[in-house]
Amino acid sequence: MRGRDARVGILFAMPWIMGFLIFMAYPLVASLVTSFTNFSILRPPSFIGIDNYKELFHDQVFYKSLGNTLLYVLGAVPLTTVAAIALALLLNTKVKGMSFYRTMFFLPTLVPMVALGTLFLWVFNGDYGLLKAGFAKVHMSSPNWLGDPAWSKWTLILISMWGCGQAMVIYLAGLQDVPVSLYEAAELDGAKAWAKTKNVTLPMISPVILFNVVMGIIGALQIFAVPYIMFPNGAPARSAYFYAMYLYDNAFQYQRMGYASAMGWVLFLITLTLTLIALKLSNKHVHYESN
Amino acid sequence: MIGASVMGDKAVSRQGGAGRTTVIYWEKWTGDEATEMRKVVDAFNKSQDKIYVRYLSISGVDTKTMLATAGGNPPDIAGIWLDQLCEFSDAKALTDLSPMAKAAGLGPDTYIKGYWDPLNYRGGLWALPSTPASIALHVRTDLVPKEYGSPETFPKTIEALDEMAMKISKKRENGDLEMAGFLPSNPGWWNFAWGIYFGASLFDGDKLTLDSPENVRAFKWVDKYAKTFGSKEVQSFQSGFGTFASPQDPFMQGKVATELNGVWKASYIHVYKPDTQWFAVPFPYPADRKDLAGHSELSQDVLTIPRGAKHPQEAFEFIKFVQRQDVMEGLCKGHGKNSPLEKVSEEFFKTHRNKFIRLFDSLARSPKAFSPPQIGILPQLQNEMNVAFQEVNTQQKSPDQALHDAQNRVSDLWTTYKDQVLNK
Amino acid sequence: MKPVSQSHKRNRQMQTMITHIALVTLSVLFVVPLAWMISTSLKPITETLSNPPRWIPSHVLWSNYPDAVKYGSKELGYIPFLVYARNTIIITVLSVGGAVLSNSIVAYSFARLKWPGRDLFFGITLATMMVPFPVVMVPTFALFKYLGWIGTFKPLWVPAFFASAFSIFLLRQFYRTIPMELSEAAKIDGCSELRIFTDVIVPLSRPALMVVALFTFMGSWNDFLGPMIYLVDQNTFTLSLGLQAYQSQHGGTPFNLLMAASCLVILPVVIVFFLAQKVFIQGIATSGLK
Repeated sequence: MRGRDARVGILFAMPWIMGFLIFMAYPLVASLVTSFTNFSILRPPSFIGIDNYKELFHDQVFYKSLGNTLLYVLGAVPLTTVAAIALALLLNTKVKGMSFYRTMFFLPTLVPMVALGTLFLWVFNGDYGLLKAGFAKVHMSSPNWLGDPAWSKWTLILISMWGCGQAMVIYLAGLQDVPVSLYEAAELDGAKAWAKTKNVTLPMISPVILFNVVMGIIGALQIFAVPYIMFPNGAPARSAYFYAMYLYDNAFQYQRMGYASAMGWVLFLITLTLTLIALKLSNKHVHYESN
Repeated sequence: MIGASVMGDKAVSRQGGAGRTTVIYWEKWTGDEATEMRKVVDAFNKSQDKIYVRYLSISGVDTKTMLATAGGNPPDIAGIWLDQLCEFSDAKALTDLSPMAKAAGLGPDTYIKGYWDPLNYRGGLWALPSTPASIALHVRTDLVPKEYGSPETFPKTIEALDEMAMKISKKRENGDLEMAGFLPSNPGWWNFAWGIYFGASLFDGDKLTLDSPENVRAFKWVDKYAKTFGSKEVQSFQSGFGTFASPQDPFMQGKVATELNGVWKASYIHVYKPDTQWFAVPFPYPADRKDLAGHSELSQDVLTIPRGAKHPQEAFEFIKFVQRQDVMEGLCKGHGKNSPLEKVSEEFFKTHRNKFIRLFDSLARSPKAFSPPQIGILPQLQNEMNVAFQEVNTQQKSPDQALHDAQNRVSDLWTTYKDQVLNK
Repeated sequence: MKPVSQSHKRNRQMQTMITHIALVTLSVLFVVPLAWMISTSLKPITETLSNPPRWIPSHVLWSNYPDAVKYGSKELGYIPFLVYARNTIIITVLSVGGAVLSNSIVAYSFARLKWPGRDLFFGITLATMMVPFPVVMVPTFALFKYLGWIGTFKPLWVPAFFASAFSIFLLRQFYRTIPMELSEAAKIDGCSELRIFTDVIVPLSRPALMVVALFTFMGSWNDFLGPMIYLVDQNTFTLSLGLQAYQSQHGGTPFNLLMAASCLVILPVVIVFFLAQKVFIQGIATSGLK
């Protein structure tokens, strides 16, 4: 019986195991090997031991881009998590026109990056921007969101809010799985709305929250497209230069694929560490029905 | 999905016709610039029946060419930027064109020296030009004092330019800039090269000289502008600039009275604000360095044959066709640029959209004209210098400090590069 | 009792009011990017980059839409937009089908079946998402080249049939919220694992499966990097790659046409989303059964 169970389990997982072996195993191993070589894509790699990693530890731009990225993760992940849950809760109420609202909130994730980039360049413009005009209305001076090195990262963190539609959809789907009976029981106990949310809803969707937080960390650590469009080369003065941008530049602008691979694997370790911390912290709070 | 790829092959053979060799040409251009090049391709395809060139507009042409070359399936011709030439050549990604060029009679005499020299690197010829450019100071006739309102009477020295710029700049009551006589950070495309206008070099063939006295002098000059106008004010003012390809371009709008820009500027003025009154002059020189008169940075888009291309001979036939005087002049005129060829027809000057085309042509021929340094880490060098510029311009670092840091970092990269790439 | 229920009712109305106000304010904020896109798509070119920017075009140019669709057809001899649309639909349909099929099964194994090495392999699955793509891009390209797939659609849809880490993780989290007793009861009734999967788990996971379908659809529809790397011939290009054609390397981008084309490209996604989110509401109805 045991052996049969195991066989069924592996059989069900087979597509992924095959896919992993065919499409992922080789590229992953190859990139790890590459990180110990001097490789320009165009010339055959030559083995240089841990030179790339040693160079990384002395590389000022590596630290700069890593610092920028970690700050972004710390800012954007909590912000979008709270925003997405709040929105999902709001959108899960039985109010007329909900289909419409849900679509509205999801829309920004559909707008192509180019359009999003040009729009936000205008919204945050330090001279004629929408935000500056808003500040002026209440007689406050607004910072130069894009041009001031002290502000550019915060601008991006703020912008990350518009992308919370994706997580929101996942929460919405998660909320559908919360049994109505639990709410009824809580109501009988005289629980108020907030207590219901705290004691019923959040524990019930905690596996989904964990999913979104982990994916949020992974995604935020690899942030690339929006700053790439809005802050070319991380200007001003590399204040918006992120890890993935530096990695990309090394790989394809500077033709240092070996170095870029080393960067990739260092990022892997950082991501892994942060994810494990998130998993550890969540252990007590994530509630699985099936266990 | 199979249908589509089969259809693709069919399309090739249909257009190619029997017995013709198909040459694949990847180019970065889209829109009008692509249309001009397509005309050349069509003319070539019609001019003979052995070779058929297929033009493809490719986004991310450099990355894609690199991947395809590494994968052993590159295009026959790739249109890339001159700035990447040494890097690509060091990576052995390109075919040496010298034997074919020699056989075709294309050599140093064919081209303007400033355009020919950078194509040659470490004993090989790695590209031939498609369209080139030179740059000059563009001046709004109506925004500068009358006595400076012509190319002949405009200030010749940087000091005189500064004095005029400070005098005519306007500030609002709250301190915001309304109009700047000149801004070193606009349009920002050659920030890394300001030192050269003060007699600096960035690289002497072996050592980097980013923090040389001349470079520091240039960055102190940048610093002076940031301090005079106020660095926060400049940044906020500049963030109000529209893109150069729109009527909101700061020069066309009159937010700046003067601006360093390329030969193509005239085409954009022509399209977006044809009534702009302007003229162009060579960028001024420091009063104590009269020998530097006639400085201009040269740039070019180039045609290369990637290593491992299937039809290098046929590809070169097309490149050769582009170098024909009439073809080249037509293409450059279409792109609003000057010609890289030593011989230029009077017709070209007369019919060119840019009324200052002769100036740009003479700047290209000036002995003081310069191209970016020939070094395989040019992209990094430019990035580091741009960062140093921004650090000075936003008053985060002193000119000495910023350049010192840039020098150290690029030197380290250069040492690694020599070790890992050149000495292999 | 009566006064209590009345105050209760008033409370409810208040709540609904507040919810509506919050929803309207927030959705205005969220709809700004799209509104901007639509407004730009209807402007004459000269107004696209004006500053300060204007929301309402001086005159509405509907012709931008047909112009955008026909853009580039003169040079190519066919209407590229329609060809790109066909290619995108082929790739997307195959990907969505493959992803829903493979991920639902694989995630089931990770969430509810026990086999040696399962948790380790799940860890590896998560880890694959932590390696940034540029680093594996070159060997992946080499792999597809080895398989002879460069220039075909295969690199863009075949992997979907072999599940993906993101979707496996997502579905696993959902499957694990379903009480184990349901499976056990079915097992006692003599159901095979396959039956339990198709008859018990799938019906209860419709919202989650919808999310996977939706995200795969979006990912595939909007994918830019994949088509850029693997497709060579213009008539195999996809819509997102085609949008690049409107952008000029040296400025002069026809932003109005670019936005018109973008609006047309995302329209199907908006419709699909609008229809898909109805499934969430149906989900509410079924969850009462649990």
